[in-house]
Amino acid sequence: MQNADEKQPQPGWQQAVRAGLNAALVPFLAIVTAVIVGGVIIALVGGNPFAAYLGLAQGAFGSARAWSETFVWATPYIFAGLAVALAFKGGLFNIGAEGQLAFGAVATAWVGYALPEVLGIEIPGILHLPLAIGAGILAGALWAAIPGALKAYAGGHEVINTIMMNYIALNITSYLLNGPMKDKNPLNVIARTPEIAEGARLPVIFDGLRVHWGFPLALLVALGVWYLLWKTTLGFEIRTVGANPDAARYAGINFRRILIVTMALSGLLAGMAGAVEVTGLNYRHELGFSIGYGFDAIAIALLGKTHPFGVVLASILFAGMRNGATRMQFLTQIPVDIISVIQSLILLFVAADAIIRYLYRIKAKEERLVLTRGWRG
Amino acid sequence: MKKLYAVLVALLVAAMLLPACAPAQTGPECAKPEVFCVGVVTDVGKIDDKSFNQSAWEGVKLAEKELGAKVQYIETTDAKDYDKNIATFADEGYDVIVTVGFALGEATVAAAKKYPNTKFIGVDQFQAEVTPGVAGLIFPEDQAGFLVGALAAQMTKTGKIGGVFGTDVVPPVWRFGEGYCAGAKYINPNIELFIVYHSDVGFDKTFTDPEWGSATAKSMIEKGADIIFGGGGKTGNGAVIGAVEAGALAIGVDTDQYYTLPEAQKGLLSSAMKLITPGVFDLIKAAKEGKFPDGNYVGKAAYAPYHDLDSQVPAEVKAKMEEINKALLDGTLKTNVTPAKTEDGKGFCTP
Amino acid sequence: MDWRRFSFIGFIIVFLFTVVVLIGGSRVSPTIIISSMLTTTIAVATPLTLGALSGVFCERAGVVNIGIEGMMLAAAFFGWLTAIYMNTVFKFDPNLSLWTGVLAAILTGGLFALLHAWLSITFKVDQIIGGTVINILAVGITGFLNRQMFFGEGSIFGGNVPHAPGLLPSLSKWLAPLCGGPEGCLGLPGLIQGTFLDQKPVALAAIALVLVSHYVLFNTRWGLRTRAVGEHPKAADTVGINVYRIRYVNVIIGGMLAGLGGAYFTIESVPSFEPLMTNGRGFISLAAMIFGNWTPFGAWAAALVFGASQALQINLQFFRDAIPPQWAFLQHAYIVGLAPYVLTMLILTGIIGKTIPPAADGQPYEK
Repeated sequence: MQNADEKQPQPGWQQAVRAGLNAALVPFLAIVTAVIVGGVIIALVGGNPFAAYLGLAQGAFGSARAWSETFVWATPYIFAGLAVALAFKGGLFNIGAEGQLAFGAVATAWVGYALPEVLGIEIPGILHLPLAIGAGILAGALWAAIPGALKAYAGGHEVINTIMMNYIALNITSYLLNGPMKDKNPLNVIARTPEIAEGARLPVIFDGLRVHWGFPLALLVALGVWYLLWKTTLGFEIRTVGANPDAARYAGINFRRILIVTMALSGLLAGMAGAVEVTGLNYRHELGFSIGYGFDAIAIALLGKTHPFGVVLASILFAGMRNGATRMQFLTQIPVDIISVIQSLILLFVAADAIIRYLYRIKAKEERLVLTRGWRG
Repeated sequence: MKKLYAVLVALLVAAMLLPACAPAQTGPECAKPEVFCVGVVTDVGKIDDKSFNQSAWEGVKLAEKELGAKVQYIETTDAKDYDKNIATFADEGYDVIVTVGFALGEATVAAAKKYPNTKFIGVDQFQAEVTPGVAGLIFPEDQAGFLVGALAAQMTKTGKIGGVFGTDVVPPVWRFGEGYCAGAKYINPNIELFIVYHSDVGFDKTFTDPEWGSATAKSMIEKGADIIFGGGGKTGNGAVIGAVEAGALAIGVDTDQYYTLPEAQKGLLSSAMKLITPGVFDLIKAAKEGKFPDGNYVGKAAYAPYHDLDSQVPAEVKAKMEEINKALLDGTLKTNVTPAKTEDGKGFCTP
Repeated sequence: MDWRRFSFIGFIIVFLFTVVVLIGGSRVSPTIIISSMLTTTIAVATPLTLGALSGVFCERAGVVNIGIEGMMLAAAFFGWLTAIYMNTVFKFDPNLSLWTGVLAAILTGGLFALLHAWLSITFKVDQIIGGTVINILAVGITGFLNRQMFFGEGSIFGGNVPHAPGLLPSLSKWLAPLCGGPEGCLGLPGLIQGTFLDQKPVALAAIALVLVSHYVLFNTRWGLRTRAVGEHPKAADTVGINVYRIRYVNVIIGGMLAGLGGAYFTIESVPSFEPLMTNGRGFISLAAMIFGNWTPFGAWAAALVFGASQALQINLQFFRDAIPPQWAFLQHAYIVGLAPYVLTMLILTGIIGKTIPPAADGQPYEK
């Protein structure tokens, strides 16, 4: 997909569609293959793969509510997947989306429930919601800028630093949610914040369904990331640093600035995932929320070939699988863990596309996806 | 190549449409009044956790056997799915839905208002106000903790006893821990207590870290503790096994762990039990018979038999335990444990 | 290995121990505190040491391995499963079953590493993606099989979790016949008894493997070739070293070390498997490897720092009420728990000397 955009600045829509389909071919076959292998595994342990997949599909896309729940799952996936994908584009591996997301959620929740009280005024909804989301974005961006700066100025590798910062974020949020930010309502026993004000909430789209305006927002942000990466100078610089750091240096790009900006933008998107979960769905931040979005996001970014539109499709697929798994288990008693197996197989086949090309006799056309270059970056 | 694309697009469309067109596949016919169905929604955790999820499920399985109920469970993988998972059962016409864990409390009450014909059993969910159709199954964990604390204080030879727990943020864990300290101090006000909560990790890890539990228990034993109470899922199990392996005595939690931790049988003094399985079963039975109690339903707490160590427990200790148990039951003895962690974390364990 | 780094690490460990002795010394004798902290430190450090050694072997040969976490988890499961099968189905003697389990864990680690090698060396897949695949695959497969085999009437073991055949015995139990009873063996002082003789085989093997790894990497031809491949594969190739073979073998050795680390969880520490029970220790191992500048001794020292800070956390909770009011922040487990992570990040900034990865680390080699 990205190749097409670069080679043909003004592609006709037919070419664009063809390029898109071309890029989607290997991931699509990877998914098909993974589903078949997963089915064999289910059959091997005595389950009925057809019933399982039917249940999965029903749970994911079988009714209005199923679609709504799939989009609810997809919303944070898209933001977090975009975060990881954007970092990849800049040659950085952000394993820290999890921590950035948690920080974003905490900041949003605080602005959502405590700011009016602190300021002593009622904040109108039209201001409160952007403020709350803005706080989450800012927190995520700052949290991610730290490893970016450490990489730019001290050479500390972002993979280790973001992993460490995940643990640090977890400890700090645990402390906050158990102490200063805990919901003081005597009936509350859970480590969580109070509910955010009505004015700071994202409304739902349809009455009776949980899907909220965060989902269209996510699609919009995906479009924005695409625009940023391919239509702006900054995006060009990010991609150049990611594709060829040496060339970027010679071209006079401020290498360190781009590193930090890329990480901050990535953290911004991850923080947005947290902010939108708080304002659109949970209306508070709670410990134990977000179990592994940051890690699922890595798989989603890879499956989407780090392209924003690919990320959206991959997010909906992963969201559908996670969401449909409940119904699959309800109908067939097959453990939900099979989803992780299938997802890792998809990732395996997408990453090692040589296997898929060999299986389906497809000639290699595009260049191999190189995302990171060891610890020295 | 064009053909190939056409096929791919067709497949994709088919995959999306298939679920809508296919004959709706459903579970047992729970919507029929004569079919009695019971569903379990777990907390974020597995049904086979050898702890509260599993105990609740066993109560439901008992209902399958004794009452002929159709039973089913759904495991929650993320807190945001509580509503959806409860609704999955309710929409299928399940008669009773068991939600396990205090975290599902609000979702359960909300569902009860939405589905007035369904009965809800909320395990570990204290009901501040009565909602029709919801029974909160709660337990006096502090009493169970008090009992085993008193037992440990009488049985220790070194005057030092230990406790390894999951996070004290969870009220039942706090009550077990505080009850343990209160019971020990009731026997011997000068007893030395080593109490450690696994609060240094995330919520999803605190109950599932047996390796940490074992290392912590051993560390206590090296400092002279000779009885260790392991309370908190797998983390506590690790402590029990580690303690027995290091030659100390151990006390289990939730169920009679003599049966769930066979490795620890030779050193398992007792267990602080909250009888979830019979509690859940009793409530299901009440629902079937139309005598469902709304509001709080207090289940039983107890201490487990001494099993292999029966001969080592002196008769006067046994008598004293009976006496304390009786006093706790008839209310003449109070544990004075706060229902949840205090603001400053102080209590019997940390005065 | 540079002096500054080691003295820094030594200083941290001594500092952590001193804090606990100062606080708890009034309640328990310092010797006991030190001995118990040493035991905890070594126990916690065991899987981290093995994981870090795994990383050292892979990366010295130029292959980044972030799949250590998944390798350990899978090894923990399959090792445990094998021990149970041997004991309950094939009626092996418990101890023999356990040792078969250890072997199976090592093999599992090796097999997952083979997958990693195949992806990253043969297919030249981005090595970090390869590791991510392994991590997700391990979570899915262990969770799925664990459920499918052990829960409910329809499962293979019919819903009864069969007894794991116990745990590996500690060294002092083995030596007991030699010196007349498990206590006071060889008349050694309690400190040594508690610290070393009460450790179990995997923990001791981890320490031995640190020495062996150091020797292999820095004093043998194999080690020289490995480092050459990791630093400058082209040059290595021109002098006739088979880059692919060296990388394959080292990655598999690394996987087997991680596998032994996995065995620690289910065969040496506790006799049961839990989904996700490695709890991120594979990632901490990676940090320990970098902390230790890609050397076995450095990695071990770093693992000990993580172990000591864990011991600090546990012990501070014992002596909660003895903490002086001006140090009250030490009562917050969350805050104390930050220490090792912040330290790792500090180390990465180069305050104690640059950490220098192998030059070709992470780069697929193309002839």
